[in-house]
Amino acid sequence: MQGLQPEMVRSELEEVVGIDYISTREMDKLVYSTDWFWLPQMWLDRGERLRTPDYIVHPGTPEEVSEILKIANSYRIPVIPWGGGSGSQGGALPIYGGILLDTKRLNKIIDIDTKSLTVTAQAGINGAQLEMAVNEHDLMMPHYPASANCATLGGYLAPRGTGTISNKYGKAEDLVLSMEVVLPDGNIIRTPHIPQHAAGPSFYPLFLGSEGTLGVITEATMQLDYLPEARLLRALLFDSLSDALEAGRQIMTRRLDPFVIRLYDERSTKTRVKRILGYDLDGAYMVIGFDGDPDIAALQEQKALDICNQFAFKDLGREPGESWWEHRYDFYYPPKNLKLPWMYGTTETVTTYSNIERVYYAEKQAVEETYADWDVDFIGHFSHWFHWGVMVYSRFIIQSPPEDAQEAIRLHNRVWNTAMQAVLENGGMVNEHHGVGLKLSRYMRRQHGSAWDFMESIKEAVDPNGIMNPGKVGFGYK
Amino acid sequence: MLENASKNLEYCRYCLMCRHVAPVGIVSYNETLTPHGVALVAESVKRGLVEWNRESVDVIFSEVDGGNSRMHCVNHVPFEDAVAAVRAQLTEQQLAPAIVYQLEEQMRIWGSPYAQMSAVEDQQGDVAVFVSDEALHFGHTVVDAVKTLLSAAGIEAVTIGHQSNGFLASSLGLVEVAKQQAALLLEQLKASGARQLMVLTPGDYYTLTQLYPERLGVVLPDDVEVVDLTTLLAQHVTDGTMRLNKLETEVAYAYVDPTHAVRVPQRFDAPRTLLRALLSDEARELFWRRERAHPVGSTGLLFTQPDLAEKLTRARLEDAKQRGAHVTVTQDPATAGQLNRFSADYGIEVKGLYELLSDNLAS
Repeated sequence: MQGLQPEMVRSELEEVVGIDYISTREMDKLVYSTDWFWLPQMWLDRGERLRTPDYIVHPGTPEEVSEILKIANSYRIPVIPWGGGSGSQGGALPIYGGILLDTKRLNKIIDIDTKSLTVTAQAGINGAQLEMAVNEHDLMMPHYPASANCATLGGYLAPRGTGTISNKYGKAEDLVLSMEVVLPDGNIIRTPHIPQHAAGPSFYPLFLGSEGTLGVITEATMQLDYLPEARLLRALLFDSLSDALEAGRQIMTRRLDPFVIRLYDERSTKTRVKRILGYDLDGAYMVIGFDGDPDIAALQEQKALDICNQFAFKDLGREPGESWWEHRYDFYYPPKNLKLPWMYGTTETVTTYSNIERVYYAEKQAVEETYADWDVDFIGHFSHWFHWGVMVYSRFIIQSPPEDAQEAIRLHNRVWNTAMQAVLENGGMVNEHHGVGLKLSRYMRRQHGSAWDFMESIKEAVDPNGIMNPGKVGFGYK
Repeated sequence: MLENASKNLEYCRYCLMCRHVAPVGIVSYNETLTPHGVALVAESVKRGLVEWNRESVDVIFSEVDGGNSRMHCVNHVPFEDAVAAVRAQLTEQQLAPAIVYQLEEQMRIWGSPYAQMSAVEDQQGDVAVFVSDEALHFGHTVVDAVKTLLSAAGIEAVTIGHQSNGFLASSLGLVEVAKQQAALLLEQLKASGARQLMVLTPGDYYTLTQLYPERLGVVLPDDVEVVDLTTLLAQHVTDGTMRLNKLETEVAYAYVDPTHAVRVPQRFDAPRTLLRALLSDEARELFWRRERAHPVGSTGLLFTQPDLAEKLTRARLEDAKQRGAHVTVTQDPATAGQLNRFSADYGIEVKGLYELLSDNLAS
C-alpha cells in the first residue's frame, strides 16, 4: 500500500497509539501474516507470499482501541484483532489486509479477588503470565490449553477455547464473569459484573466465539480456583475403544469429577503415545486424573476404577499417567509434533454419548477410504468430556502431500470437506474449541441452518461496514 | 553448527511455547521479536521470501542471548545457540550491523569491548578467581570485596582473566574472537596451576562450563573444577564458617537474578541464603525471578539494540518497584551497572552482593 491515503491512515493511527506502536515494516508484516493454521504455514514453507496487514498497531488502552476502530470505520478498512497468534483456524489472518490490532500491550492485571476467587485482567495478557500471577496467591486459572504459553486471555475467550482440565472446571467461556468489549463503532461497553442474574437476556456470550467479528474484547473477569492440594493421575489400557468410551461416560455421568480423561484410539496409542511417551502398547490408552482434597480425590479415583472393572483393561499405574501430564504439550511442539512438509488437520468434533462412536467411525471411514491413495493416517483422542457427551480430537495426516502449493490447498480442503460432511451428517458439530476462523467459515451456514440468517442480522446490526475480521466465522467481506 | 542451527530454527519457526518468558518479545510487544518471529525471518531467507538487509539483519541482532527460550523450551531446543550461529554467518558475510565490527576490533585489541584492561600478574595458586572485563569496568570495588570474602573463608586465591570471557563475541557471531579469548583464559589458567576456578556470576559459570564446549568446542581441563563463588559463600554462611552482621535497616531489599541466571538453575538459592543472613526481613522477590528471571540487557543487546536493552532494564526496575523494593542487590557487576543507569528514575538504589557481604562480615 503506497500513496497519499495510506499515509493519511498511518498518520491518524500514529496519532492514536504513538510512533513506537505502529509498524509498516516488511519483517513485521511477514511475521503477522500467519497464525498457526496449516495452510498459511504451508504457503510460506513453499516460498509463497501471503497477504500481509497494511498496518500493525499495538494499542495500550481500550480508548485507543476505540479510536482505531473509528478510523477503520471512516476509511472502511478491515481490522484483525490479534492475541498470541496461536490459533489453528486462520482466525487472525489478515486475508484482506487492513489494520492488524495486536492486543498484547493490554496486559495489566487489574484485580485479584482472593475471597471471591476471581481475576480481572486486560485481554492481551499472556495466559502463562496470568497463571504465574494468580499462582502467587495459591490460586489457578483452570483453563490449561496447550497454547497457554503463547495465547492471551482474549484469545482464550474469542474462539471459545477449552483446556486440558475442562472436564471438571469447564471451558474458558464457563469461567467468564464479565467482559469489557470495544464495539466496531468504537463504543466501549461492559457486561454486568456477574453472569448468573435475571436482569434481562444475557448478551455477553455473543462475543464468545465471535473471534473479533463483533468487537474487541479488552478486559475480562475470570473465575479462579485454589491450586489443588493433590493431583492423582494414572494410566489405563483398554482392550476396546468402545469399552473405554463407555467407562468414561459412566465416570462423567455419575459425576466423579475427573479433571482429565484423555483417551487415545488404538492408532494414536500405537503411534503418538509411543512417539511422545515411549510406551509400545496395543489398545486404547487412557489417562485419568482427580484433583483437590487428597482424600476425596483418592475416593473418586477408586470409584472410577470400580467402574472400569466392568471392562477388559489393564491398570498401568501412576507413572505413565504422570509422565503424560508432564509431557502433555510435547505432542504439539517441535520436534515431536506433526509438522511440515506433512499435511495435517485437526477436526475436533463434539457430540452426545449416543452419537460419538457413530461420528468418529463415520469420519474415520470417509477420510481413510476417500484418501487411501494418499496413504492418509487418521488418528484421534477423546479429551473434553461433558455430562452429556464428549469431544473427539481427530487428526488426518498425509506424509507426502503435493509439492505444489496450490495443489496442496486443493487436497487439504477436499479432506476437510469429506470429514465435515461425515461429521455433520452424523450429528457432530464442526468443532469444539479451536474456533471457526477462516478454515471452517464455509461450513457455518450448514452447521446452523435457519439460525444462520439470525446470526448474520446480528453481525449487520453491530458491524454495518463489515470492518471486523472479515471473511471469518462465516461472515463475508463487504 | 549452521546446519544444526537451521534445523533448530525450523523447529522454532512455528513454535510459540517460550513466548511467555521471551524477554524481548515481552518488552517490545512485537511478534517479530519473539523466538518464533526471529526464526521465521531467518528461515524465510532460505525460501526466497526475505533478503538479508538492514531490517531483517536487525531482527536477528535484536534477540537476547540470555537462555530463557532454551530453559523453557518444551523440547529443549537451543534457540539462542541457533541465533548465534546465524549471526556468525551474517558476520562472516559482512552483513552484520556496523557496531559488531567495531566491537570485533576493540575486543581483538583490548580483550574487551569496554577499554584496555590491566594486565594479569603472573601468580600461582590452587585457586584462581576469574575476573572478567565486566567486573573491572562496572564493579570498581567488587574485586577487593571478593578478596576480602575469600580471605574470611580461609581461601587464598589468585586472579586471572581481566578480559572478556568470550560470551559477547560468541553471541555476536564473532566466533574466532571468542575462541581466542577462551584460549587465552585457558593459558592463564594453566599458568596459574589452579585446580579450582572461581567465577563471580552465572554468566561466567555458563560461559566456561557450557558455552565453551557447545559453541566453541573448547573444554576446560578435566582436573579443574569451576566453582560458583556465591554458592561457596552460602555454604560457608550455612555451616557457620562465615558470619555476617545483620543490617540495621527497615528498607525493603529485592534480589535481582542477573543476566544468564536461568542458565544455572542450581544456584538460585545461594544468593537468597546470603541475603537472608544479612537482612532482618526476607528480600522481596521479583515477578521475573529464578527459572523465569529476565536479563537486564547488559550484554550484546546493549550494543546492537540499546533501546531494547533499556526497555529490559527498566522492566526489571519497574518489577522491583512494584514489589515495594528500595534497594536491589545482584552479584553480577554488569547487571548492577546496567540497573544503575536508570535506577534513580525509580527511586531505587543498586548494590553489589559481594560488596554488601564484604562490608558486613562479622569480625
